Order: sequence, then C-alpha cells, then structure tokens
Amino acid sequence: MEQHIHPEPKAFIWKYVFSIDHKVIAKQFLWTGLMFLALGGTLAMMIRWQWAYPKTAVPVVGALFLSHTGGAITPPTYTSIFTMHGLIMIFWAITPILIGAFGNFCIPLMIGARDMAFPKLNMYSYWMFFASSVLVILSFTSQLGAASAGWTTYPPLSTNVGAPGWGQTYMALAIFATGVSTIMGGINYIVTVIRYRAPGMTWFRLPLTIWGMWLTAILNVLFVPVLGSAALLLSLDRLAGTHFFVAGAAVGIQGGDPMLFQHLFWIFGHPEVYILILPVWGIVGDILSFFSRKPAFWYKGSVFAMIAVTVLSAVVYGHHMYQTGMAPLLGLGFEMLTLAISVPAVVLFVNWLNTIWKGSLRLEVPMLFALGMVFVFGAGGLTGLLLGTISTDIYLHDTMYVVGHFHLTMAAASFLGSFSALYFWFPKMYGKQMDQNLGKVHFWGSVVFITLVFGGQLVAGYSGQHRRLFEPYQYTYIRHLAPLNRWTSFAAFALGATQLIFVVNFIKSILMGKKAEQNPWHVSTLEWTHCASPPIYHNFDIVPTVVRGAHEYADPAVKKKFGRDYLDQVEPGLSAVDEDSSAGMPEPEAIGAE
Amino acid sequence: MGDVVELRPRAREDFTSVIGMMIALGAWAMMFGALFFMYAGMRSHALMWPPPGVPRLPIGLPALNTAVLLASSGAFSLGLRSLRKGERRALSAWLAAAAALGTTFLALQVVVWRDVWASGLQPSTGAYGSVFYGLTALHAVHVAAGILVILLVLVRSLLGKYTEHNVMPVRLPGMFWHFVDAVWVLMFVSLYLL
Repeated sequence: MEQHIHPEPKAFIWKYVFSIDHKVIAKQFLWTGLMFLALGGTLAMMIRWQWAYPKTAVPVVGALFLSHTGGAITPPTYTSIFTMHGLIMIFWAITPILIGAFGNFCIPLMIGARDMAFPKLNMYSYWMFFASSVLVILSFTSQLGAASAGWTTYPPLSTNVGAPGWGQTYMALAIFATGVSTIMGGINYIVTVIRYRAPGMTWFRLPLTIWGMWLTAILNVLFVPVLGSAALLLSLDRLAGTHFFVAGAAVGIQGGDPMLFQHLFWIFGHPEVYILILPVWGIVGDILSFFSRKPAFWYKGSVFAMIAVTVLSAVVYGHHMYQTGMAPLLGLGFEMLTLAISVPAVVLFVNWLNTIWKGSLRLEVPMLFALGMVFVFGAGGLTGLLLGTISTDIYLHDTMYVVGHFHLTMAAASFLGSFSALYFWFPKMYGKQMDQNLGKVHFWGSVVFITLVFGGQLVAGYSGQHRRLFEPYQYTYIRHLAPLNRWTSFAAFALGATQLIFVVNFIKSILMGKKAEQNPWHVSTLEWTHCASPPIYHNFDIVPTVVRGAHEYADPAVKKKFGRDYLDQVEPGLSAVDEDSSAGMPEPEAIGAE
Repeated sequence: MGDVVELRPRAREDFTSVIGMMIALGAWAMMFGALFFMYAGMRSHALMWPPPGVPRLPIGLPALNTAVLLASSGAFSLGLRSLRKGERRALSAWLAAAAALGTTFLALQVVVWRDVWASGLQPSTGAYGSVFYGLTALHAVHVAAGILVILLVLVRSLLGKYTEHNVMPVRLPGMFWHFVDAVWVLMFVSLYLL
C-alpha cells in the first residue's frame, strides 16, 4: 500500500496539541489515562479506607474534599466513589492507556506504516475522548454529587428517581462521548491493519500485539455502539421525560422495562472485558517470546485462540444476568458458551507457559510484568469458573468474590499488561531508558499487593460478604471479617504507595533518563529494528519489506553467522547469506516519493 | 515502471476510504440495531401493542415522508452518477434537490410529531410514546446531520472541487445518506405498519 509522507508541522499547536501524528496522539492518551488511573486509584483507596475504618475521617483526601463531614465518607458519597472508581478505571484509565496509547503507538510502527489510515480521525478520536473527560470532571462538581448508580448504571437506580441531579446525566453523556471516541479509534485500527501493512507483512507474520489490538478494535466497533444506544436512551429518560427504563405505577399506561438496559449493557459489557484483555494477551505473547529468547510457542494457535475468544465473547453476555430470573434453559446455554471460552483461554495460557519453558529468560522489567500478568490472569481465570457455573454463581453472585475475580482478570491483568507495555516501549516513545531498579521494585510491590488485595476480596466474598455495602459490619455475620478487610486495605494502601515509585521513575526518566539505543531489548520487530528511538515523524524513510514473522529467536546457526540470537523481520535469512551477500536481499520499495 | 500510466491514481486510497466508511456504518448499524432490539424487547413483553388507550399513529403522512426520503437518496445517487460522467453542474443540481428533499422530510416529520402530540401521545406516555419519539428523534438527528453534510458537499461542488477522477468526497457522504434512508424504512415499517 502506497503511503504518503505528510509534511511535519512546525507550530507548537499542530505538533503537540492538535497533532495527527499517531505517536503524539499515543502520548496524549497515555498521559490522560495515567492521570485518570491516579484519580481512580485514589477513589479505590477511599473505598478501602471505608471498609477498614468505617465512618472515620479519611486522611488527607478527606480534609481536602470532604470537609463538610469532617473528612468522613457518607453513604451517598460512598456510592458516588465506587461508581466513579469503576467507570473511570474502565473507560478513562485502562482503555486510553492500553488501546488509545499502545494501540496508536504500536500498530503503525509494528506493521511498517507511516501513520494511521485516517490520521485526522485519529486526532478527533483523542479530542472526543478529552471532551468526555471534561464531562467526568463536571460530574464530580455537580451539586447533588457525582454519578452514583454503580459502574453498570442500572435503572431504576440511574433514573432521575434513583440518582437525581446532573452527576449521573453527565456520566451517561460522558460514556456516550468516550464511546464515540473509541469507535473512531477502532475504525482506524481495523483499516490500518487491513490496508497499511508493509510489503511482505502477511497476516501470520504480524506480531501478536497487533492481533490483540486488531481483534479488540473489531469488538469495539461492534459493541461500543450498543452501549452508546443504552447511554442515549438513559439520557433521554433523564432529560426528555421518556420512559424506556422506567416502570411501575408512576408511568401510567404500560411503562418501560429496566431489564432491557441490563441486556443492552451486557451485550456490550461482556465483549468489553475481552476488549480490555485481548491487547494484553497479544502484548504478553510477544514479550514472553522476546525475553525468553524463543519463538512464541504455536503462534497460529494463539492467533486462532484469540479469534475464538473474540467470537465467543459476543454470545456469553447472559452469564452476567443469571440472577435476573432468566429462563433456566437460556441460562444453561449461556453457561455452556461461557465455559467454552476457557478452552481457547487455556490454549493461550499453555502457549505462554511453553514459550518460557526452557527459554533463556531475561528478567527485565517488561518481562517481570508479563509474567505477573500470566500469574494474576491464571488466578482470575480459575476463580471465574465458579462464576460461570450457575449452581455456584447463585451463592457467589453479589459477593466480594465477584469483585476479587474481575479485578484479577480485568483490572490486575490489564494493569500489569499495560505496565509491561509501558516499560517495554518507553525507550521507543521517549528515546530514554527507564530506571530498571525502580521498575523492579514497582513490579514486586505491584504484583504482591495486587495478589493480597484481590485475594483478600475473594476470601471475604467466599465467606459471604456482600459487595456493595457502605458499612459491612452492621451485619453480625460479616463482623468477624473486619480484620481480614482491614489487612486487605493495608495491602491496597501499599499497592497505591508502590505506584508512587512508578511516578518518580516515569517523570525522572523522561526528564533525565539515559539516552536509549535503537534496539535496547535486542528484539526482532520493525519498530525496534527499523526506527530510531524515538522514531522520525513519518516512522520509516523507506518502508521495509518483511520476509518473516516476529519471533525468530534461538537458532544456533543464526548465532554462528551473525553473533546474535535473533533475526529481524526484514533481513535476509541464512540461505541468502550463504549464497551471495545480496542475492536474497529483497529490493526495498521506494515509496512516498511523490 | 515508467511506461505504465496509472489511470486511477487514487484507486487504492479510495478503496481504503470505502472500507473505513463501511466499518463506520457497521458501527452505526449496531447502534440502531440496539435500538430495534430494545423496541423488540418492549413489544415482546407487552400484553398488547399499541397498549390500550393510546392514540393511533397516522399512516398517510409518514408514508409520503418515506417516499420523500427515498427520493432524496435517489437524487443523491443521480448526482454521483452525473459526476462520474463529468457533468459537474448536474451534480450541484442533484445535491440541491437531495438537500431540499431531506429538509422536506424533516419539516413533515415535525408536522407528524405535532399531530401525534396533539392527539395525546407524548414521550412520557409509557413505553409506546418513548419508543415512538425516541426512535424517530434519534433518526431525525441523523437526517439533520446528513443535510448539513450534503450542503457542505454542495458548496464545494459549486466551487468546482470535484472531478470525475475525484468522486470519493461525494461518494462517502452518499453512503451515509443511503444508510440513514435504509434505517428510516425499517423504522417506518416497524413503527407505523407492524
């Protein structure tokens, strides 16, 4: 595919603010996402404080924002906090960091493209996201408090009756806006991978990262519009007086149906959890191979497993609604489909284990985070079996067990995967090295405390603690769990404190990190082998012609010839070198010289 | 490759744009699909539809309006065909016709809303009123957006920006316009006829 070279803008506003360069947009998403990660994390700390020391003044944050109650959290504030924690983490932290930042950064660079297919759409996507971020902040400032109907925004809680005021309305509109942004990005990602792969970059030579991002983009484009629809209808209910989701005597003539919102929400909501994990699977699949210095085990199996998960994710949403009185036969169908997902998931998992098996593991920071992700995802996946099975779900539903499970899979796995990506691509993004020692401390703190926090939640839930209680200990049967909750909270605070190490490392490295080499990790993909750190404006002066896949490691013959243990995706292989130094070299296509 | 004359230099880029637009419309279709799913859910749970006591919707004016919107789509198609043949002035005329017909559709839609409102069916009249006003209003927003885009294309057409070698900036809005039209046909059938 022929690709233009856009002239590089010179003015600050076009270069750094309204930029159409995918690398700049990636950084914009990254920074916005990290800010929201900090905000969402702070809200999580407040929830944990409430469960450790109910109704007592929250240190620091309480003095700043809750002065009207002397720093303590009230029940309405509590519902707002956990609602905003969930929404912010999913839509304004993980999505922009994982998909917005690394999708944007990696896709063109790894497939050998000069930019996205539609660079302007890419810019609109970020600024639409930015607008939605403003709505989130507005929600906090609204008079009756921020949104408070839970991240799922179920009516009737989320109608004017359950959540009056502008807080919930702003969030419904913000969800719609960020959805539009995600769809714009998704269209771009899908088309870019279809049309802008470098010559020779066949589908099965794509790095796994790209497969993950591409499949995620497809799910985004298909299912975020359904959420958009639900958010629109909810906004109409709140603003225009319609009764889509309002039922009961107040409506008079045949009212609406709150259950319909749950259907629309989970038709989107279940693919969403795979939207947040597929890129991580891809990234981890690549990084495990790179840092084990071995080819990714059964690459095609991993690809087909990810495709299978993508397809299945569209037909399992009912397992979120086992407790809503759905027909038993329907529930059984959803149960079987849900458990069927564990088959491709296990294929991926076994492939990861086989990739590191007998590899020469280099335990650098990205690899540590990738291994941590494999661990927490394994734990999260196993605990999910009990929730996918109706007979056990009946007991565990709406307990802290659910919270522990989805935090391990969605939150912890996406979090560790994102940081694996961040430490891995940071040298390419900023041209600087991050401090590896601080990175290792950040990793060990994160993985240990994540396990303790969400493990603690699993135990509390298994013991019967309901998951949405403002003051769990008002129930005598939960009272004996107070020490467990308190220790879990201590682990959570430690997890929060650990992130400060990352903040220091990140800022310090950008400002005065050591200059990074072009290929500091000695890996084989295009962005490392054919781009400077950081890459030039149009990425590639000459778009390289790809001759092999992304995981060419550990061939002893290569080591003998080249003195290194990998082949990049472009250079001629062994046979070409044997015959003649230039015979096997494909002629680079001179492109963009129009 | 010096001897090969590229007859359609933009063909590959154009194909990329078409793929992008089709994916975008797919996303839009999912959004409207979710609305219809919601509507189907409402109806399947209802004991009677329309519920007893709600006023009947008119059929005549909406049917006429459907014809108006279809005509608008047709005008757009003819405009694109003219451009492909290099008749740029005909393109402007057809675009103006498409925009005018689209505006007529919106105006008649307002009349329909006013009549229905006066007959006693309002957005707050339970599920039935919500579905009627919600679906038609969300569609009308798309029609309004489509008219604005057509007017923009019309202005650029009058300025002579398009040639038979550069039809994509006209074709892509056309795809959107036909899509909005197709959604309306589904709405007309399911809201008024079924």
